Amino acid sequence: MKKLLAFSSCLSLLLSASAMAEMRISGYGSIIAGKTLGTVDDPLNPGQTRDEILTADFYDVGQYDNDITFNAESILAVQAVVDLNEKFSVTAQLVAKGVDDFEPEFDWYYVTYQASDQLTLMAGRRNIPMYYFSEFSEVGYAYPWMRPPSNLYWWQVTQFNGVHAMYSFDLGDYSNTLTFFYGNEYSDDNVEMLYYDKLYGGNARTVNEFWTDITGMNWNISGDNFDLRFVYFQNDRDRETIQQDGSIDPYTPFSQTFIGLGGSINLSQFTVLFDANFVDYDDDLGTEFPTYLVSLVYHWDDIQPYVSYSKADHERSKVPTEDLEEHYMLSFGVRYDFMPKAAFKVQYDKFVDQGDVPNGWAYHGDSRTISMGVDFVF
Amino acid sequence: MSISVKKACCAAMYGAALLSMAQPLHVHAEVVVIVHPSNDSSFDQGEIKKIFLGKTKSFSNGRNAILISASADDPATDEFNEKVIGRSSSQVKAYWSKILFTGKGTPPQEMNSAQEVISTVASNPDAIGYIDASAATDSVKVVAKF
Repeated sequence: MKKLLAFSSCLSLLLSASAMAEMRISGYGSIIAGKTLGTVDDPLNPGQTRDEILTADFYDVGQYDNDITFNAESILAVQAVVDLNEKFSVTAQLVAKGVDDFEPEFDWYYVTYQASDQLTLMAGRRNIPMYYFSEFSEVGYAYPWMRPPSNLYWWQVTQFNGVHAMYSFDLGDYSNTLTFFYGNEYSDDNVEMLYYDKLYGGNARTVNEFWTDITGMNWNISGDNFDLRFVYFQNDRDRETIQQDGSIDPYTPFSQTFIGLGGSINLSQFTVLFDANFVDYDDDLGTEFPTYLVSLVYHWDDIQPYVSYSKADHERSKVPTEDLEEHYMLSFGVRYDFMPKAAFKVQYDKFVDQGDVPNGWAYHGDSRTISMGVDFVF
Repeated sequence: MSISVKKACCAAMYGAALLSMAQPLHVHAEVVVIVHPSNDSSFDQGEIKKIFLGKTKSFSNGRNAILISASADDPATDEFNEKVIGRSSSQVKAYWSKILFTGKGTPPQEMNSAQEVISTVASNPDAIGYIDASAATDSVKVVAKF
């Protein structure tokens, strides 16, 4: 109830601001319930059995186990756009998530300057445009599945404070947008990293994760029947694992590069969605993460059955070994747009952990999950 | 007697409900794209599609386009999306939700009725909208029919 009051008072703050300037209010949300279907040998505690666990939201560690829950990935977001004049606007998104007990937070806030028809500049807090679905990964209404496959969308940092320059142009019949971005993220009290510390028996007080000098670009090209997006960025990585006594674990900073190609292709009644990515660390091991997803969606009026396969691997180019993290997820589901602004979805996920058990890399464990719910926009 | 009347009524209502549910699949009405009478820009299907997907922000006369759509319940909306955009209305809405919540554009303003689309377009030199062909009046300029 307190949370609801907090949300509504933030909302009324937004609304009272609307009296002063031209303001547009919209929003999105997902109310999703789910559970895993069985138990599994605990890969980190051999000989012990535990519930199957699916991490639906890695960044906030929203998980399903055998107890049905609405909290793993339900979300409500309100967006306010204030037009200061013809060229300047301010955008804020107030987001409340089940994993945070629906505590509302301003997750996005940025100013937009429409320099010309072609050039848009943005500065502030936004999602990092990593994977094809990263920027709108929480807008369930925007894609067919329950969520972009979480075994790829697994990073402990998803947002940053920075600047974007977007330039749009036509090339023949194709529409193009080039986006250059730069920013930093100092993620104090990182939820995902603290979760891993505890998962492996640690007792850290907190973990701070730093991604700095995030520098990169997207190239988006679309035609009548396709939309493709190329991404490249690099950034520096550092981490503070702070123990109960205040000591900080040693950590060797490194740089990473992220490269990817994703998109959608429409073939009459079918849509193919895909994303292939490669993350490369300049650490002593030559850590690499090749990942990809491919999904087929059938459009039968307002009903869209779909299947998706997503695969993530972990390799070391300087110290080759197969005994690392590896997993795939196979998902089936249906989206039904039962109202103009709402879609019902039901999805089954089979997560297969192919990681190395003796070295602790099979830490997810296999799982089978059913989730269902409604995505909406307003 | 009264029971069978009830049954027949129910069957008729059920049938009508089925028909109305099935309707969006079988609409064959024509839809027209309308602008302000002073707008002398050129329009073809490709251009209209790009404008209504937010990929082209201005008309060939150089002015910024203001997008107006019919209401979601108006059959003209399904008709326009399927014939001109080449997608179902739900696909178009999913597309715009991605654009809107990543701050990369503003979806068309949805009007409650064809009359409202007409009055908005008639009173704004930069507006572009669509309506059922039979609803068009002299206060707006029809630039395409699908």
